[in-house]
Amino acid sequence: MDSTTALYVAQGIHGLAYGMVLFLVASGLTLIFGMMGILNIAHASFFMLGAYFCFQVLSTTGNFWVSLLVAPIAAGFLGVLCERFLLRKVHAYGHVGELLLTVGVAMVILESVKIFWGTQSLPITVPPVLQGLLKIGGLEYPIYRLFIIGLAFVILGIMALILYKTRLGMIVRGAVSDADMVNALGINVPVVFMIVFGFGTWLAGVAGVAVSPIMTVHPGLADQVGMDAFVVVVTAGFGSLKGAFIVSIIFGLLNAYGVQFVSQLAPVLMFSFMAIVLAFKPMGFFGEIE
Amino acid sequence: MTDRTIKGILWAVILAILVAYPGLFGLYFTNIFVVFAIYALYAVTFNILLGYTGLLSFGHAMFFGTGGYATAIALERIEGLPLLPAILIGLSAAIVLALILCPLLVRVSGVAFAMLTLAFGQLMHVLAMKLRWLTGGEDGVGGFPIPAIHIPGIGSFDIANPVNFYYFAIAVLGVSIWMIWFITKTPFGSIQTGIRDNAMRIDYLGFKVRHTKAIVFIISSGFAGISGSIYALFQNLISADDAYHVGNSFAPIIMTLVGGMGSFFGPIAGSGILSLIDELTSRYTERVDLVTGLILILMIMFAPMGFAGFLRLIKAKWFSRPSDKMATEGTS
Repeated sequence: MDSTTALYVAQGIHGLAYGMVLFLVASGLTLIFGMMGILNIAHASFFMLGAYFCFQVLSTTGNFWVSLLVAPIAAGFLGVLCERFLLRKVHAYGHVGELLLTVGVAMVILESVKIFWGTQSLPITVPPVLQGLLKIGGLEYPIYRLFIIGLAFVILGIMALILYKTRLGMIVRGAVSDADMVNALGINVPVVFMIVFGFGTWLAGVAGVAVSPIMTVHPGLADQVGMDAFVVVVTAGFGSLKGAFIVSIIFGLLNAYGVQFVSQLAPVLMFSFMAIVLAFKPMGFFGEIE
Repeated sequence: MTDRTIKGILWAVILAILVAYPGLFGLYFTNIFVVFAIYALYAVTFNILLGYTGLLSFGHAMFFGTGGYATAIALERIEGLPLLPAILIGLSAAIVLALILCPLLVRVSGVAFAMLTLAFGQLMHVLAMKLRWLTGGEDGVGGFPIPAIHIPGIGSFDIANPVNFYYFAIAVLGVSIWMIWFITKTPFGSIQTGIRDNAMRIDYLGFKVRHTKAIVFIISSGFAGISGSIYALFQNLISADDAYHVGNSFAPIIMTLVGGMGSFFGPIAGSGILSLIDELTSRYTERVDLVTGLILILMIMFAPMGFAGFLRLIKAKWFSRPSDKMATEGTS
């Protein structure tokens, strides 16, 4: 295999890994939006918190696997608190109020992170098992990126199982299409909201831990990935999980190959893609007709 | 005394304070006041989208930034450009940007509008960083010449002098705010509030909802461009992280919310309150945004109508006749 092909494959793996991370963040966003109608601006902040918690757990216990387990749960728990004690209180004032509340939460999280961990970049080392390259058929694959892709697929599988095979999943899908109706049928929808919000922020936390070794942990992380995740959700259509998956992968690859071929224009590619999609389908690729 | 004379006296007093301000409070507070006035206009232009037309924009900074950049680049590149044409270039650049975007933006409303404006705002931020030959990348455009202003028959004023700049900025910003206020009082302003309350009914009445939204959007953007170009002149610098940053899009939202959404003067009050908070907290801590974020959360939870709503509540409680009270309670 020649070096050009190897380069293409390596960039493809990079793009796929980033796309999967984007999907983990965007899926939480789109689930929360589909159910509650809230576009959670603070979602990327929970993602960043996941990365910072990972650093904290790693520096105390020294075990990456423990932080992979603990940090997302901590982020999800904060998400639940945020839903229960802040968002639920302003539900009556409509979506704009909720949207702005999440802006406030995002600001507070960002500034708190700066107070607790400072503004410098923090290093995170990958456990030895995940370091190095895997050789298959004469090509080399970075193990950690393969690990991210695998992890995301496992989570995707579990999510699909829960959503389509369990009673809870049925209720969630019902609430996505009509929360009032589900509520009228005697199901405690606010509790379901809380669970979904917690689950969404947990997903963001997982993504945060997953990217922390490959992107440095710094306060700009939320802006960087959060914006991409929003663009994914807008392009895919609000509330569409399938769309979020497909568009995440497209954007991941677009990003990776964009950096390789037109490095100057790489950041603009995604926005141009979004503008083109929205010019023809204002509700996004898989969005429902208004 | 009639209402009219009271109002006249009130305006005269405000005008007198504005004229005497630099002499009374000194240079430091004069500069703070200029920043407050710039953000007051910026927040008012935002509020005619959100408060009057019901469009929540998360990318209003793109017009602020475009106005600022256009003025700065024009002054840098064109030799001997007078001041007012430079501001007009800022205004027209913002309007051109709005014209390009509005075919896409008027088709959506609500959260989709917010997200689209956010995305385009980010796009402008990226462009300002990447187009180095035009915008200077991270450094921005700075140190451009600021021409003196010539008034025929009176003479010329050097506005590099902070006190002269204060009068110049207050005049431009004041006239802009007055023009926006005038627009909201016209029948066109009534169509705006109609779209906010019930877009479908406005459509049935035969008004063109999308056209109206587009015109409001363009007016708002143009004036935001003016505030941006005054900002660029004031700092003698405009940079992407300052003007196009998403935080600069959230600033007018917070001001509008703190001041009060439904009222025209609410955003101005909000801008004042936030400059005060900024001024007071920055003496003790670097984390000004933490305080602003907490205030935003508290405002939404406990006072969703903002400062103006709070005043209205007090007025209804203590300063009105029982019959008025019934009326205000009935409508709110």
